Amino acid sequence: MSMVELTFLMLSGVAVFSALLAVSTTQVVHAALWLVLTLGAIAGCYLLIGAEFIAWVQVLIYIGAVVVLLLFALMLTRAPTGPDSATTTSNRNVAAAVSVLVAGGLAAIMVSGFAGERLAPPRGGVGSAASIGDAIFGTWVLPFEILSLVLLAALVGAIVLTRRGPERDNGAPGDVPERAQH
Amino acid sequence: MTALTGAVLAQNALSAADLPQIGAPAIEYGTLSPVLAITATALIGVLVEAGAPRRARFGLQSAVAIVGILAALAATVWVSIHDLGKVSFEGTDLLARGKTVAEGALVVDGPTVFLWGLLLVFALVSMLMFAERGLEGGLSGFTGQAAVAPGGAGEREATMAGIEHTEIFPLAMFALLGMMVFPASNDLLTMFVALEVLSLPLYLLCGLARRRRLLSQEAAVKYFLLGAFSSAFFLYGIALVYGYSGSFTLAAIDTAVSNQIAGQNLLLAGMALISVGLLFKVSAVPFQAWTPDVYQGAPTAVTAFMAAGTKVAAFGALLRVFFVGFGGAQWDWRPLMMIVAVLTMVVGAVVLIRQTDVKRMLAYSAIAHSGFILTAFAGAYEGSAGTATITSVSAVMFYLAVYGFSTIGAFAIATLVRDGGGEVGHLARWAGLGRESPVLAGVFALFMLSFAGIPLTAGFMGKWTVFSAAWSGYAWPLVVAGVLTSAVAAYFYVRVIVLMFFADPEGDGPTVAVPSVMTSAVIAVTAAVTIVLGIVPGPVLDLAQNAGTFVR
Amino acid sequence: MNGLFGTESWWVVIAKAVLIFLILVIYTLFNIWFERRVVAKMQHRIGPNVHGPFGLLQSLADGVKLALKEDIVPTAADKVVYVLAPILATIPAFMAWAVIPFGPEVRIPFTDTVTPLQLTDLPVGVLYILAVTSIGIYGIVLAGWSSGSTYALLGGMRSSAQMISYEVAMGLAFVSVFMYAGSMSTADIVAAQAEDMWFALPLLPSFVIYLIAMVGETNRAPFDLPEAEGELVGGFHTEYSSLKFALFFLAEYVNMVTVSALATTLFLGGWRAPWPISLWDGANSGYWPVLWFLGKTLIFIFVFVWLRGTLPRMRYDQFMKFGWKVLIPAALLWTMAVAVVRRIRLDGGMDQQTVLIVGGIAVTLLLVIAFIPERKQPADDEEPAETDAFAGGYPVPPMPGHQETRPDA
Repeated sequence: MSMVELTFLMLSGVAVFSALLAVSTTQVVHAALWLVLTLGAIAGCYLLIGAEFIAWVQVLIYIGAVVVLLLFALMLTRAPTGPDSATTTSNRNVAAAVSVLVAGGLAAIMVSGFAGERLAPPRGGVGSAASIGDAIFGTWVLPFEILSLVLLAALVGAIVLTRRGPERDNGAPGDVPERAQH
Repeated sequence: MTALTGAVLAQNALSAADLPQIGAPAIEYGTLSPVLAITATALIGVLVEAGAPRRARFGLQSAVAIVGILAALAATVWVSIHDLGKVSFEGTDLLARGKTVAEGALVVDGPTVFLWGLLLVFALVSMLMFAERGLEGGLSGFTGQAAVAPGGAGEREATMAGIEHTEIFPLAMFALLGMMVFPASNDLLTMFVALEVLSLPLYLLCGLARRRRLLSQEAAVKYFLLGAFSSAFFLYGIALVYGYSGSFTLAAIDTAVSNQIAGQNLLLAGMALISVGLLFKVSAVPFQAWTPDVYQGAPTAVTAFMAAGTKVAAFGALLRVFFVGFGGAQWDWRPLMMIVAVLTMVVGAVVLIRQTDVKRMLAYSAIAHSGFILTAFAGAYEGSAGTATITSVSAVMFYLAVYGFSTIGAFAIATLVRDGGGEVGHLARWAGLGRESPVLAGVFALFMLSFAGIPLTAGFMGKWTVFSAAWSGYAWPLVVAGVLTSAVAAYFYVRVIVLMFFADPEGDGPTVAVPSVMTSAVIAVTAAVTIVLGIVPGPVLDLAQNAGTFVR
Repeated sequence: MNGLFGTESWWVVIAKAVLIFLILVIYTLFNIWFERRVVAKMQHRIGPNVHGPFGLLQSLADGVKLALKEDIVPTAADKVVYVLAPILATIPAFMAWAVIPFGPEVRIPFTDTVTPLQLTDLPVGVLYILAVTSIGIYGIVLAGWSSGSTYALLGGMRSSAQMISYEVAMGLAFVSVFMYAGSMSTADIVAAQAEDMWFALPLLPSFVIYLIAMVGETNRAPFDLPEAEGELVGGFHTEYSSLKFALFFLAEYVNMVTVSALATTLFLGGWRAPWPISLWDGANSGYWPVLWFLGKTLIFIFVFVWLRGTLPRMRYDQFMKFGWKVLIPAALLWTMAVAVVRRIRLDGGMDQQTVLIVGGIAVTLLLVIAFIPERKQPADDEEPAETDAFAGGYPVPPMPGHQETRPDA
């Protein structure tokens, strides 16, 4: 087993372990932090197989933005950020059993499909920014552009769901919500 | 502006550094024009939302949507004339026409164009229902302000001020775009992206009902959670199939499957997970649980759009993935799909009998009809050269046309039967509708008869085609099950008709609102199509049959 | 990219890493002194001038004092995260320096080993810097959350929102540099500027956007809202003291140097000598470039201090509005313009006349749009609504456009 494979194994172990902790901890904020560790370990795996660009984008987007926004949402809403029994229901055991079954099944499929595969050393050029740019703006240009429409639709939807009151674009700061004025 | 000129000047000063050359992709804009037209319509809708004055916005938005869809329809016709050249593949002399476009991301072939046409017509009809403002005192059937609490003071104020969400039109256009790309995808990645484009706006639209908002919001959350869950299944399935075949492209997957290049476990698990994602969208048992709640809670116009459109898109994609990508593994998936088909028909028809709410009734009816369509799919009859026996693909497409019109019409009528609290859901309150409004009740009875598959309605022709395709594919147990469950369901549909015409009304009985020309047009068109397809199905059937098989 | 990276012997790598760490810590001490002296100058004071030559040792003494303070962990704090937060803030700040080039290849004194004055280089170096600095946000957010204090929480939230918002504009400012340099590697970008000119000139809008975004990104005045004393006591580090506070302090100053170094590398030619000096042949070889590099960085530090000394803090909502509604659209527009022009030139280009015509039309259109008066909202505020000044028994100030009525009127 080469050094790269050993590191890969260790990183995967970290990813799996922290993923387990992320779903089992009772502290929502801690769960988010374990998620960060999982995503970081996966970014490390990407690095090891030579996908440098994807690895750093994973860190930048998922760790640097998505989970931070998640934390932000946790703090901004009245979601319980402390250990709270209300979020832990009696379904916990059933959920655990189902997860173990599913994970076991998928793991078995993975093992049967990829047993004996070795980690190939990164081939030159694959995973570089240039090759990814070529793929995104060549073969996959249509799905890529359509994805931007998903984001646009989500933006429009977010505005629909949250915006209240008639337009008040230049409203004063700390504009009192509708009801408070009356 | 100055930025541009600044950049120009900067460029003049600098010699171009040698960048890695990335070739521009080849995009067939002409062939893609229907999709591009809908994209443009959605984007114009967003711009209208940003720029147009509030008072004019609703009318402008509905006009933009309708004109956009008409343009896309015209483009579809143009494409069907210009771009559907016959193609042949080695090893088969089946009829196929069309080509792959946009670097192989989409395939515009006979079935694609047929489904595009269907989707656009359904969307056009649904947009008329979206734009209906005659039923809520000059306001649309969508909530004025989604952000305020249901039943609170804010909601009343919004209603008094006449505030409306006009974003529903661009959102519906985004969903329509997803629906059009979904069955046309030539690879699993594009298909997944399309699935998201079609789902996300629908999740949102489901939560925007004006009346019974808590029910509507609950429907949206349920649909969102379960839909996200099924998308995850679909994505995982894609990953496994990629692991098996090393490609996202359906044709390459087919090659890999035919050559059995790796262990079958990956393929089987991938196929299973992908089918979960797709069967969820067509609401086949055991993935149907969301359907009644969502159909009931969503604004009725959205339900109609979703019931017809999602079904067309999802069945198109299901057929393409399994016939093209997994065609070589037919004997692995057909038995399972047969079981799903039988389960769907049985559960749909049996639970249908117990329903007391009109929209839930139509939801279970939708499940049962998915089962009927699945019989043709599980029959997997691809036809043989030179004979005119109807193929599975044509049968499914024809059935989708029939079912879509009837179901939109039925939902349109459901918007009209009202009392002080909005639409009357409970079937018992529909008693005596025949006396109150014989025409409306008559048309509803027509749709019921079509759902039941009584001869001389479109439903009969639809059932006949799917069962015939299943029979040709030696799936005769499905045909038997289908006929039996049809009989069970027919009992219920006839009971609804009896209730409307021969039962005494409860209390004052229902009132029938007088709609604007929009909803009237919807009902007239759908009723007319239901009759015409029942009596002279020939032209549409020929169109479906001429579409040929999928291009790979 | 230099072929030496990845093949150097371990002791060279370790030596370079330790050197970078030392330089950063010493530079931080220097910067604190520098800031105090410059601000003092602006206020016609003298500043620290007693301890050491020119008072240079003042920050060292302050640092020791800080470390000797009592280390308090609030009872309401989440202990593990509370300790983790300052570490998470500091480490990424140092990590970013792994790909900053200080100079060309040099021979290490007393050996025959030749090495570039840069720890390592990545093909996606700038992306790497963006990625690791984005991890630094966690330090601040978690410090705010784990302190168990409202002020700290508000400060942490502000900073996360602020840094994410300004990171977008910052990233967009980089894109045009990548397009010009044809690479995301820091060493290549410096090399590309040697061939052409400093990117600050042709890409002036990008440079300006980056300058603004970098101040927002480092939470420095006038954008130091996460620790706005007037509103939030100390912001995210309200509850921190002693060494843990010192770590935040260190992280802030290192970050300041990091963004300055990045600005130098991407826009001001990196370690290459500025014009009059570059006439001298030996300017770009040996250890001299380190001097030019640190000098250019110091200019940016001076700008930071200058801003702090002169500008009042912005209001939070105005700040966010500026970021999202002005900076990001401007950055997008400029990036698009650069891309379009670049594409046209690569395709064979337009002749001068076409360029002028297109530019002229664009400018005219923009002028016309700018002169269309913004239509007033036909809002229902036109007739001033009446506000009960004592709604629910509490005095309520009238909203803009509302008329106050007295309860007895």
